[in-house]
Amino acid sequence: MAVCIAVIAKENYPLYIRSVPTQNELKFHYTVHTSLDVVEEKISAVGKAMADQRELYLGLLYPTEDYKVYGYVTNSKVKFVIVVDSSNTSLRDNEIRSMFRKLHNSFTDVMCNPFYNPGDTIQSKAFDGMVSAMMVQAS
Amino acid sequence: MAQCVQSVHEFIQDSFVPMVAVLCSEDAEKVTRKNNLNFSELLRPFCRLTSEGHMRDPNNQVQVVKNLRISVNNVVTRPSVPASGTPSLAQRLLLSEVVSTCQPAEGGVANVITAGDYDLNISDRSLKASVPWYRDWRDTLTELSTSKHYTATTPWFEAYRETFLQSMPAADHEFLNHYLACLLVVSSSEAVPVEKFLKLSQEQHRIQHSGEYTNPKWFIPNTLKYYVLLHDMSQGDEHRADSVYEDMKQRYGAQGCYLLKVNSRTAAAGADEQIPDPWSQYLHKSSLQSQPNSFLHPTANGSLVNSLDSTHPLQLDTSGDTPGSLDALRAVAVETKAGTAAAAAASHGACLTLNDHDRIRQFIQEFTFRGLLPHIEKNIRQLNDQLVSRKGLSRSLFSATKKWFGGGKVPEKSIAELKNTSGLLYPPEAPELQIRKMADLCFLVQHYELAYSCYHTAKKDFLSDQAMLYAAGALEMAAVSAFLQGGAPRPYPAHYMDTAIQTYRDVCKNMHLAERCALLSAEILKSQAKFSDAATLLIKMTSEDCDLRSALLLEQAAHCFINMRNPMVRKFAFHMILAGHRFSKAGQKRHALRCYCQAMQVYKGKGWSLAEDHINFTIGRQSFTLRQPENAVSAFRHILTNESQQASSQQAAFLREYLYVYKNVTGVCDVALPQLPLPYINSSATRVYFGHERRLAEGEKQAATHVSLDQEFDRDLAAMWRDLEEQVVASANRGVVPATFQATQCCLNSQTDNLRFPLAVVEEPIIVEVVFRNPLKVPLVLSDVSLLWKFTLKDFSRPQDATKQSDDIIATEVIPEFFLNPEETKVARLKLLPHQTGQLNILGLVYNLASTPSTGGTTVSSSAALKSDVRGRQDLEIQGPRLNQTKEEKTSVSHGPDRRLDPTITPPMPLLEVFFLQFPTALLCGEIRKAYVEFCNVSGVPLCGLRVVSTHPDFFTFGSSSLATPLTPLSPTSFENCSAYKTLATPPGATPGSVAAVTLVSAGDFGLGEGGSGTSNGVAEIPLEDRVLKPGQSTQLPLWLRGPDHEGVHEINFLFYYESAVKGGKISHRVLRHTVFICASRSLCVRATACRSNTLPEEEAEEEDERRNGSMLVFVDVENINTNEAGVREFHIAQVSSSSKQWRLHRCINPAEDKGMLTNIRGGKHVSCDCQASYCSNSVPLCLFSPLVAPQIISSTTPCADFFFRRCPPSDSRRPPVAVETQGRLSRSQGAGPGGGAEDLTSLVRKCNEVDLDIIVLWKAFVVEDNKQVILEGQLHVALQTIGKEACSLTQKEEAQEMVLLKFKPELPPPMTRPSMEQLSHLIKTNLHYPESYRHPFIHKSLCLVPVTLTLSNCSLAQVDVIIDLRHKTTSPESLEVHGSFTWLGQTQYKLQLRAQEVMRVPLRACFLHAGVYNLGTPRVFAKLADQGAMCETSQQTATPALIIIINDT
Repeated sequence: MAVCIAVIAKENYPLYIRSVPTQNELKFHYTVHTSLDVVEEKISAVGKAMADQRELYLGLLYPTEDYKVYGYVTNSKVKFVIVVDSSNTSLRDNEIRSMFRKLHNSFTDVMCNPFYNPGDTIQSKAFDGMVSAMMVQAS
Repeated sequence: MAQCVQSVHEFIQDSFVPMVAVLCSEDAEKVTRKNNLNFSELLRPFCRLTSEGHMRDPNNQVQVVKNLRISVNNVVTRPSVPASGTPSLAQRLLLSEVVSTCQPAEGGVANVITAGDYDLNISDRSLKASVPWYRDWRDTLTELSTSKHYTATTPWFEAYRETFLQSMPAADHEFLNHYLACLLVVSSSEAVPVEKFLKLSQEQHRIQHSGEYTNPKWFIPNTLKYYVLLHDMSQGDEHRADSVYEDMKQRYGAQGCYLLKVNSRTAAAGADEQIPDPWSQYLHKSSLQSQPNSFLHPTANGSLVNSLDSTHPLQLDTSGDTPGSLDALRAVAVETKAGTAAAAAASHGACLTLNDHDRIRQFIQEFTFRGLLPHIEKNIRQLNDQLVSRKGLSRSLFSATKKWFGGGKVPEKSIAELKNTSGLLYPPEAPELQIRKMADLCFLVQHYELAYSCYHTAKKDFLSDQAMLYAAGALEMAAVSAFLQGGAPRPYPAHYMDTAIQTYRDVCKNMHLAERCALLSAEILKSQAKFSDAATLLIKMTSEDCDLRSALLLEQAAHCFINMRNPMVRKFAFHMILAGHRFSKAGQKRHALRCYCQAMQVYKGKGWSLAEDHINFTIGRQSFTLRQPENAVSAFRHILTNESQQASSQQAAFLREYLYVYKNVTGVCDVALPQLPLPYINSSATRVYFGHERRLAEGEKQAATHVSLDQEFDRDLAAMWRDLEEQVVASANRGVVPATFQATQCCLNSQTDNLRFPLAVVEEPIIVEVVFRNPLKVPLVLSDVSLLWKFTLKDFSRPQDATKQSDDIIATEVIPEFFLNPEETKVARLKLLPHQTGQLNILGLVYNLASTPSTGGTTVSSSAALKSDVRGRQDLEIQGPRLNQTKEEKTSVSHGPDRRLDPTITPPMPLLEVFFLQFPTALLCGEIRKAYVEFCNVSGVPLCGLRVVSTHPDFFTFGSSSLATPLTPLSPTSFENCSAYKTLATPPGATPGSVAAVTLVSAGDFGLGEGGSGTSNGVAEIPLEDRVLKPGQSTQLPLWLRGPDHEGVHEINFLFYYESAVKGGKISHRVLRHTVFICASRSLCVRATACRSNTLPEEEAEEEDERRNGSMLVFVDVENINTNEAGVREFHIAQVSSSSKQWRLHRCINPAEDKGMLTNIRGGKHVSCDCQASYCSNSVPLCLFSPLVAPQIISSTTPCADFFFRRCPPSDSRRPPVAVETQGRLSRSQGAGPGGGAEDLTSLVRKCNEVDLDIIVLWKAFVVEDNKQVILEGQLHVALQTIGKEACSLTQKEEAQEMVLLKFKPELPPPMTRPSMEQLSHLIKTNLHYPESYRHPFIHKSLCLVPVTLTLSNCSLAQVDVIIDLRHKTTSPESLEVHGSFTWLGQTQYKLQLRAQEVMRVPLRACFLHAGVYNLGTPRVFAKLADQGAMCETSQQTATPALIIIINDT
């Protein structure tokens, strides 16, 4: 399904980033990092007045030749980025949305862990498992 | 986007200028050559017109031409670039050359762009016009031209663009860079100039019309020929020139010819005159262009380098890429050949005065306004007329064109043919091209409105013809002219551009044109602040075929991103990286490095470690290839110091690369050892240990544990040791701890107090433990690891630094090899041995760093180390603890000093080693064992004042030296079969149970302080011979140990204290620690109870009258509680001794004891041993030792007495009051009264129940050990305190286990309790004395009178009022019945007063009426303390039934 899933902190450093292991990890890092510009643009485009009832799902950030990059921003400005293969046409907006929702739920669980220090990189096994489940489905 | 120097309009105008060709005679060429210039170059700086020109459009409207520039070029007949559109190799080389020579200025003003939370330092021009709109461009331009920094932001890009546009080949589908006019230049020195003119004119005609040459291209068939007569002022005849000019005017008309006079300066005159050199900036580039071969080597890459001989760039056309490349390059070269031939040294225009400059300028102006513009005007008019007439419809072009196309003209060629060939070629004079030609002419003279409509028309025309190339050209120019129209009547048609680019690229496959179009379009979009579109456009133009172009365009796109209203920093960074990549592929290393560095700013420190590592790695590599090894090293170091997430292979690669680069750096300069990034050193975890590393066991000797680096620091333990040390120091200084006291710290770590400089002793090693951590997934090998230090000799007046590793001052240990496995944390211990006194500073570590191949074999270590290892250092800098005392310190973050690594080396001190021999690890509770301890002075300084302090002073004793007893067995080997106890030489076995010898001993004899206060601190002086241990001397002492009273594992700590015999050193004393663990197992449990005996033994009463009062029964109950240990067979009680100040065990009254000396107690059994104790008073506070049972053992000596005195004192120490009491009792005859008024009632009453008797039970245990029976000995103590209360040898354990409540308030003194009835009932002891049987002849005498003595003894120390009531109680029927049979005669009630401890006998008489058995114990005794009036009398404990038998004696 997804080839890369990333969670980015409010301050734009990665909390979690994982990509399909066989592929070029560095490329995904660059891709995700660059997509943050679009995320910021989209957030600022909504405007402050609408910030409260803003849709968390940002939709397609930008397409590249091989991938599509989707974005999602939680209310605490934590960003989720999912990169999917362009060739994968079975994924519609709705599926992406539900993936993000799952990701958000799992992320909330991580945050609820009293031993998790907000701002640290996520090392939760449950989260990891959920992410791999989302990535495995593709292959 | 990087700001350009030119404004957009200027840039576009300059991109398309009227082209003028030059044909020069040889003589004229010679004239100009004097200035190191050819004719076209001579004109070039003056080609921009400063004044406005005017011309009329076809509608006769006046059109102003501003700021026009013309381009003058020599005629080159070879084609530069084939029309295919792919840039030739030569052109590529040229462009690459231009870019690589154009580098950002070093140390330019930093340009910081703040974008979001990023501050980007873009090292280009800071002179950034933030609003690049048209209205500002002039200001910007003037500002720039006045400014000294005449470099642009991305000058390499502009240089590239300029060169690119200049090298654009003339195309067939457009006319913009076709020659409009031709200058025919002839020198006045020519013999017949007119003929020459004619020749040149014919030549021009031949070039244009013969068809031999496809290049250059000419705009219009009848090209404007302008005749220029060049006159050299310095040598020619001016009159002749004038006359020739007159002749020319006649021939060509005044507007078609010109006399240009140059070279008016003579060589002699002009040396001092400073003439500006306007050529340099124009010729600079071209001179570079002409010598590309000298630059190709460093920049060209790949196969090119191989094919390049250094001879000439023109010979490099090996690839057969494009046949035109040779010529193209030559074309460039030829253009500037003249200038460069001698240009190296001489300046340009040396023969020209300022007047000449003005003449040239005037010439250009004349030519343009009189010749060129009218020519263009005429041609436009002509073309317009032509078009109009051809359609024959209207004079108005605009309406005409509309109708023309509205009619739907069918193209002349068949549709099918057109569709097949997108690259349709119209013949040069085709009517479709005429309108385009006209549009181009209009465009060149800045008539953009007309140009636009023409282009627009042409576009439709071409499109309907499917002539895509032509259509794209028209679209491009339509868009440009729409943009350039002042006043903006229509918006800029961006989609025209897009279509044009697409068409050029996809349909025509002409990247060259597409690129030009994109460059124009991007520039226009940027000027309209449409950065996003510009970026997209630029990125689209990147392709695989040309790295340089892609790199430049990507860089521009990146700049676009950052100039957006919401700067897209990350996109900027990403595209910079892409650009850097392409630059490096294109061989532009410097630019690549710059791009990566700029991108780095965005990625740095944001947690994107993979990306960061990648960038750093690339920077490192590029820096290295650019010979900036320092930068390379620092970049690589970043990769290695950051917590890396890379795979191990990647890390290994990084490390290898780093080591390689590093080695090259250090090879160049070896001034100071550089810092190495690996492995990590956890400097705060560094531990420093002063002293030798100890060997714990040496044969059967067991060394004192002391402190070692293997121990973990324990705060509680440290406090305990500190307390012990304080105690021992206090005792050494007569009870006062000196103010300067500091606990000795042998091992310093992060938790110890490191504020002071630690003291180290010369010739004693200092061991530094460094914690290394390997953050990588590859193993590391350190070799030749040693400490780096600085030493200041204290002995010399001037400080002398000796950082060099000279072994005569300090011997430095070197660890030859130290492995660190992947991600391992490991400690290394490095030793220093100071040989001189002074101040030492440990600075850091030096080592060789190497990596092993990831295969990780152990055998490869040596070879790998040889292969790549670098030497470097790492400093140890320890931050002290955070200060948190004052307010300032609390509000700020400040750290105290940490002097762990700065020891002061002091003069030699004694060093003690302590060894223990035969030291047990397990003992029974109370077991006595003898061990030996050996003290050894291993230093060169005598040692004295040896003391020891322990947490368990009751555990050991050295014996008492003050007693005259010799220290028995001298050699420990003879110990085996010896008892620890000293036995009597001749046991008085004959009379067991008899009164044993009584020994008086004082506690002071056993090394303990008087009065018990000395026992509490547990400091013991060690009885050394001579009190001094000389260097190298060792002495052995016996040491008795006694198993702790409670079972379990006990940690027992010893602290040995010693001083130097030589006083006045910096270190006042030294200590040695020892910790043992003793496992104690249960042995016996002794319970003892004391009872007052009622009967007074007669013999005693006879012997000593005073002791009538003092008799007691002591019941000792011994239980074997060692149930779980199979090895212990049985216990024997060897002896029972007592120790008391007033009591002694008198005799054993247990009949069972009479049989044998020893009692066997098997597991779980009880044995009781009841003794009688008698009172004896002694005047000094000594203890009486009265052995009993089997008095074989001298219990009053070492070790028995030692341990007795060292036993844990009972919870309430009663000794001093006892002493007082003794005194009081002795003085009772003086009638002072015991205690006086201060004595309170309770204690007084209590005292009468107190005993102060300690029972010592000595036992033997038979233990089977390895099939051998071993006899163990031991002793247990029981302290009897109160009569009737059971005391146990184990009681204290239970007490200790009770939880102690935390109390926050000081405890109130317990309220004065009245003595209980129980206690008060013990005041008086009563005893009846009477004959046991009495014979009385009742027949003779009916009344039998028996005398009975009632003995009353006062147990207390106070006066007691006693009431004796002899009356029978009549209340109870039972007593009536019993007592009715006898009666007391005489006084029935007595009221007496007994003084303290007085014994009084009251004679009574009983009267019996019948024979029988009677109980005489009926008298009731009431007592009350004499001075307590309010208190009522308490009935005293009734005596046991006193039976009397009255026998009728008949």
